[in-house]
Amino acid sequence: MNFTLMIDSMPALLRGTVVTIQLLAVTLTLGMALAVPLAILRVQRAPLLSWPVRAYIYFFRGTPLLVQIFLFYYGLAQFDAVRESLFWPYLRQPYVCALLTFVLHTAAYTANILRGAMEAVPAGEVEAARACGMRPAQVYRLILLPRAFRLGLPAYSNEVIGMLKGTSLASTVTVMELTGVANTIVAQSFSPYEIFVAAALIYLAITFVLTRALALVEHHWSRHMRPVDVPAAKVGQEEAHA
Amino acid sequence: MNHMDSGAAPAYRPVLAANGIRKSFGALEVLSDVSLSAGEHQVISMIGASGSGKSTFLRCINLLEVPDAGSITFEGETLELRRRGDQPATLNSRQVARIRARMGMVFQSFNLWAHLTVLENVTIAPIKVLGVPKAAAVARAEELLAKVGMYDKRNSYPAHISGGQQQRCAIARALAMEPKLLLFDEPTSALDPELVGEVLRVMQLLAEEGRTMIVVTHEMGFARQVSNEVLFLHQGRIEERGPPEQVFGAPRSERCRQFLARVL
Repeated sequence: MNFTLMIDSMPALLRGTVVTIQLLAVTLTLGMALAVPLAILRVQRAPLLSWPVRAYIYFFRGTPLLVQIFLFYYGLAQFDAVRESLFWPYLRQPYVCALLTFVLHTAAYTANILRGAMEAVPAGEVEAARACGMRPAQVYRLILLPRAFRLGLPAYSNEVIGMLKGTSLASTVTVMELTGVANTIVAQSFSPYEIFVAAALIYLAITFVLTRALALVEHHWSRHMRPVDVPAAKVGQEEAHA
Repeated sequence: MNHMDSGAAPAYRPVLAANGIRKSFGALEVLSDVSLSAGEHQVISMIGASGSGKSTFLRCINLLEVPDAGSITFEGETLELRRRGDQPATLNSRQVARIRARMGMVFQSFNLWAHLTVLENVTIAPIKVLGVPKAAAVARAEELLAKVGMYDKRNSYPAHISGGQQQRCAIARALAMEPKLLLFDEPTSALDPELVGEVLRVMQLLAEEGRTMIVVTHEMGFARQVSNEVLFLHQGRIEERGPPEQVFGAPRSERCRQFLARVL
């Protein structure tokens, strides 16, 4: 293994990593902002509200992310209306197309996770909220969504990791994120092994930080479900007795 | 003296009047023409076998179920039950929320919000629904929790306390809204036998304070000792109503006699 090549490639790979993290951060932020209203629409009983969201989720869950990226990047440009629109200067950029696809993709998955979580909130807790005079918006804001975020977090952690790996597909439309940079260096150096190992290590490092962070949030948010707030030292003692 | 009219004795200022409440679920008629009026400081117990419609009636009063027919007047305000042909009744949601805020409800399964502490469970609705300043809401909640014997547990989460403690917290939550009427839906039915007493003691305390209460219950001792009026429901109708001495001592209805013989 050529370590010198790995080390020499690091600055370029890290520049790609910044793009990857940027893509992921914007995707997750906008995706969540979109997912909350979508999930609320999805759980409405009126078919006019829930069915469009069902269709949306079905499409983005039912087709490969790569196909979605191609549809946006190559497909949108086919329409004169898009090319003549105000947004064309943005929509023609591969970065914007990839980002847009990622946002819509993760929003669909996240909305579906939140939908399941909201349905798992005991009906009695929602009834109690209505019974003390909360308006529907308050029931969502104070009871249903806070409960759903806690219930859905483990599933959402998977989505976050999945999306991190998903950002590598942006390289297919020439976005120079981590995988794209790695590919370019491989094409110049003919050393796929060293470069992709280096890229994989960087992905693993990001995943490590993400899982730790998500685990901390999960721990904090599951206070109400843990037996009691036992200090770590005490847990150790009990195990020693056993 | 006619005991049948004792529920509407003029000495009481009326708090709630429900008239001719009907409710069906599909083909099953759960309530057929049930009326009740509760005056200030009155405690009304509703007894009857499972499926007799007691709980449904209670849920109709604060519109967790929408009655198919009938009228409800609470504190002089008549609820708007709008109907569009065969469609389920649509309600004036603002009015419903406003009325619910002044009616406390205690559920069989407690229904505390699991992600909030005991104290937060009691303060959230006064703060968010009534607009009480946080400090005042916390002070009042601590008073109420002390009253139901839950002050020490105020920072616990519902999953960490017993059923009886959860129900006492749920009672404090209802009281925090300063309700004009308290509705209890079989508040002790989900409790272990040894935990029933602590909840009934709190309820008795509230009755002694002169709170207006409607209690759906299987606790005949409580109904007999604490209530001013007892209603016996059978198949969605009131079969027997009167002061507890009469309903328990000398029931006129054969069904009521049979029911009491089974449960007493």
